[in-house]
Amino acid sequence: MNIIGPDALVFGVDDLAACAQYLTDYGLAPAGNGRFEALDGTAIVLAHKDDAGLPAPMGTASMLRKTIYGVADQAALGAIAEELGRDREVKRLPDGSIEALDDMGFVLGFQVTVRRALDMPAETINAPGAAPQRKPNVVAVDENAPALPRTLSHVVYFVPDVPRAEKFYVERLGFACTDRLVGAGPFLRPAGTLDHHTLFLIQTPPFMKGIEHFTFHMGGPTEVMQAGSRFVNKGYQSFWGPGRHKMGSNWFWYFNSPLGCHVEYDADMDLHDEQWTAREAPAGADASQLFLFEKRDNWAPGGPPPGAAGAAERH
Amino acid sequence: MDSVYLCRLDDIPDGTSRGFDPWREGRDTVFVVRQGAVLHAWRNACPHYGTRDREVPLAWRKDAYLDADRSSIVCAAHGARFDIATGICTLGPCLGQGLQRVEVELAPDNNIYIPPQGGRRPI
Ligand code: FES
Repeated sequence: MNIIGPDALVFGVDDLAACAQYLTDYGLAPAGNGRFEALDGTAIVLAHKDDAGLPAPMGTASMLRKTIYGVADQAALGAIAEELGRDREVKRLPDGSIEALDDMGFVLGFQVTVRRALDMPAETINAPGAAPQRKPNVVAVDENAPALPRTLSHVVYFVPDVPRAEKFYVERLGFACTDRLVGAGPFLRPAGTLDHHTLFLIQTPPFMKGIEHFTFHMGGPTEVMQAGSRFVNKGYQSFWGPGRHKMGSNWFWYFNSPLGCHVEYDADMDLHDEQWTAREAPAGADASQLFLFEKRDNWAPGGPPPGAAGAAERH
Repeated sequence: MDSVYLCRLDDIPDGTSRGFDPWREGRDTVFVVRQGAVLHAWRNACPHYGTRDREVPLAWRKDAYLDADRSSIVCAAHGARFDIATGICTLGPCLGQGLQRVEVELAPDNNIYIPPQGGRRPI
């Protein structure tokens, strides 16, 4: 099953205008028909919650209606249709994609991926003892750098039965468990990418079923900081971060959103192949963050700006 | 502790919500929803993830505590919905749990205050 990763997430929301503004300020580009794209064409798709074209809601507070996976080619699409068709209905949609339910009732779509290949540099650093990554006279910091989401990285689900959900993705769709937070659930990597995870499952009671967060990969930690700071300065509410995860090693910064889930910026995730042995750690803040910063009011060495005495912002 | 002045009634348009930082903690720790002359004030702490050490804020943007038709309070972390008048979670991760009420007083001059001890956490 050559699944590359999520191509798009479809939401049914109650405040379309707020969500559209939010995703645009986050850095996605409006592409029409409720579609908001990252640089490679992966996307968040919005519709009003009562839109008849949407798959049915889950009956919880979750606004996620569908996860659309990108696969390598038609052969992979055919293989998925055949595999899932053994025990469930597989719909064929007019756009050539297929649609089926997973074992938790999440609606999944599969399509030949729409991702455009990116050709962009990663963030570079200079460190003593290593060959410089930036030549003399090349500066790293550009206040006006775009810092835009490059690709849809991963989605996290709340599911009522992690073992059963995991079995479905591993045995039916060819995902591999890269690491596990005991008490929460597995990080899962599909066969068509080396990214540490494109799906993470968290065990919850049934009334919480839905999406916990999604995130797009940025060009490096500086872009996470730069995009996140701009987002805070536009008035959006930071929830957790910035910091760096232990499992996956990705930098993170989470925000509240009107899409009824957290929205994250992330960067620099570990890659794994079949040589890797999954690790286990008990779930909790210590296991999930190597370190954590919290956004505070700006000040330069020498003290806070006049008038801001002690008014550090704790987001 | 003295009363804490929040704002004038007119500063919260009818049907809307607004966040406050009455004890200067560096972020909005209380929010008020206005329905006509009735004010409902709650701690900005979602019962789903919140702990005594770390209160989890509900809004996704400054003052944005309500859904699109302003009929419910919504937590923008995982979409929990709360009844505006009772603070009870009606849908979502903290079903049946509730927000912590903060007492507010509307003075005859239309100033809104938190009375002494009105909003402190129970010890
Ligand atoms: S923190 Fe409020 S719904 Fe999860």
